[in-house]
Amino acid sequence: MFDEEGYRKLFVEESRENHENIVSNLLALESGDDQQTAIDEIFRSAHTLKGMSASMGFDAMEHLCHSMEDIFSLIRSGQREVTASLTDLLLTCTDTIEEMLDTIEAGGTPSDEQSGGLVQELRVFTEDAPGEAPVEAIPFEAAGTADGRPLYSLSVAVDPSSTMKDVRAMLLLQNLESIGTILSTTPSREAIEDGKFDGLFEVLIESEAGEDALRTVASGTEISLLALTAASSPAVLPVETREVRPHEAVQEPRVTKAEKNREIKNIRVDIERLDRMMNLVEDLVINRGRLEQIAKKHGIKEFDEALSMVGRSVSDLQNLMMGVRMMPLERIFNRLPRVVRDVANHDGKEVELVIEGGETELDRGMMDGLSDPLLHLIRNGVNHGIETPEIREACGKPRKGSLRLTARRDKDNVVIEIEDDGAGIDPERLRTKGIEKGLMTPDAAATATKDELINLLFEPGFSTAETITDISGRGVGLDVVKKTIESLKGTIKVDSSMGVGTKFELVLPPTMAIIDVMMVHINSMRCAIPISNVVEVAQTRPEAVHRIGTSETILLRDQILPMHRLEDMFGRAQKSDTLVVLQNNGRRCCIVVDTVDGQQEVVVKPLSRLAGNCRGISGITIPGDGDVVPVLDVNTMI
Amino acid sequence: MGRILIVDDTMFMRTLLKNILFSGGHDIVGEAADGAEALARYQELKPDLVTMDVVMPKVNGIEALKAIKAADPAAKVIMCTAVGQEQMVKLAVKSGARGYIVKPFQAPKVLEEVKSVLSA
Repeated sequence: MFDEEGYRKLFVEESRENHENIVSNLLALESGDDQQTAIDEIFRSAHTLKGMSASMGFDAMEHLCHSMEDIFSLIRSGQREVTASLTDLLLTCTDTIEEMLDTIEAGGTPSDEQSGGLVQELRVFTEDAPGEAPVEAIPFEAAGTADGRPLYSLSVAVDPSSTMKDVRAMLLLQNLESIGTILSTTPSREAIEDGKFDGLFEVLIESEAGEDALRTVASGTEISLLALTAASSPAVLPVETREVRPHEAVQEPRVTKAEKNREIKNIRVDIERLDRMMNLVEDLVINRGRLEQIAKKHGIKEFDEALSMVGRSVSDLQNLMMGVRMMPLERIFNRLPRVVRDVANHDGKEVELVIEGGETELDRGMMDGLSDPLLHLIRNGVNHGIETPEIREACGKPRKGSLRLTARRDKDNVVIEIEDDGAGIDPERLRTKGIEKGLMTPDAAATATKDELINLLFEPGFSTAETITDISGRGVGLDVVKKTIESLKGTIKVDSSMGVGTKFELVLPPTMAIIDVMMVHINSMRCAIPISNVVEVAQTRPEAVHRIGTSETILLRDQILPMHRLEDMFGRAQKSDTLVVLQNNGRRCCIVVDTVDGQQEVVVKPLSRLAGNCRGISGITIPGDGDVVPVLDVNTMI
Repeated sequence: MGRILIVDDTMFMRTLLKNILFSGGHDIVGEAADGAEALARYQELKPDLVTMDVVMPKVNGIEALKAIKAADPAAKVIMCTAVGQEQMVKLAVKSGARGYIVKPFQAPKVLEEVKSVLSA
């Protein structure tokens, strides 16, 4: 046999892709758009999975995929309808496939016990098929050739240096279509458009434009025509149809020379290695700062020049590393349609999830942290936001609720919005609930603004749903969501109108590792404040400071701001006429500092777990002189 | 050689592209900084070709492309894109874009694509 371990990895990787394809197309099938494509896709993926698992000797998985494939061949030929119960069963199958893949990835072999019952259940669906035997008839696409228009077969290669081979191929196919009718392509057109080809493909086209015209069109940018032959009869056609025939030999050795020689353009790198590289880059940044300070002391021209070259390289390296760590949000968005479906089905709701901006990128370190809050907000939207179809109709809304998840880059931030068109949040109910839960005194509640009431949602132990459901109420509240987002240096805002819907807005920095800070001295100790939180630096006179109860406030440009001296952290500031005005989430306060030293780009390192959770400090940074400087966590201060 | 309209929200990119196209002997007849402006400029200038950035504020490149194609189905539009935007480019191609160029721009590739689309 072959080197099994090597194959196993590849097997798991590609199987997961196919698995995902099945899930997303099952959901697409249910939502009703472009049924045929979805069915074809599921069939294709189930078929591929079957073939691959058979080659690896994972019989249990093969049987399961085989049964799924059988069902889809019936659905394709119109002998079966896709019912809700069938979709449920098929989704359960995909869950099992995922479990099997986990088993395989861990080095095991899936057992029939995992799938046995499902195969039986699937058989029920296939066996009570109406009389006729499964027909393999695949409509012969070439029927139109009867009118005798000339047929050509083109063999085309996309330049290996092309950045988007699939798009290049799509453009070519589109151009070809302007002068003829494409009968088939190998690999299939979908595969080509998805980039699942190695740069070479064949096109069978019917055209009256003549060879020369075809040659011109087929030799565009980054495209070279390898061969153009006149195909005499449609008999050569069924190149593509072969793949869709069920029960056929599983895999054909298709390793062509071109494939063997293909240059390796992408490599996979272990995330841990990337993290280690990132740490090294951070150290370089710190040490560059140190060198710069030493250089300043000595003023050697040659040294300064060399250092500035090094500095530039370090900056480039740093930017490059940040880029490498970026991942499109799709990675976490992709799991959400399934969640929406499950929750909606559970609650008897009809919900359409629209995802936009999945290509927006975020540092992978943030991605892990973002996944759970997003999941929670999405569940919440279906669970508490969108009403049942009956209520919606009664309110004059479409039966189907809509949940929009959008991501975009806004200046230096990534903005993610989750918006439903549901019932909205009732401020009055928040008011009563706030008093009930003891989060507000009745007096405070009576005068509370809508924003204050809505902010109650983020208080620990607050849940507006009358009963906690087993889906959205997992003991995690919006308070945890908020904390997680804040730990990612982001903010969360909610906006809701009764009867119209609710919108959560998350604003996140694309990366946490390197930020601009303002360096200040407080009681002769250095401290860094993220620039994004700084509004301004102001001077004040003692008479502008007022005492309200135990806290001090200051009147600055007609605004009353709470004033903090941070004595418990740094001791009392010696001079107290310099203020830094801070802002977080639209709220402001100011702190008293001795001096403002300037602005600097620094690497923020998280505090060690040993130090525990230090309130008010989000991490430490080491500027050029090697000092350890705390970074202020403005979130907890306001 | 063609009369070209450049659409991009940054002047940096427009300038870069302008210089490349200019070196290839093309005429830059106009520039637009967003999709809405692009349509207006297109109708006013009737260029032979448009280079269209995909990600732009207000009206993005795809919507602008659709609007231009609706106004003039024969319009030749090339998308300016970057690695990672494959899906958007595919959408653009399906909406009638004739070609694409990838940032960071390489002059020979840009000129080759422009030439090939102009001559098609």
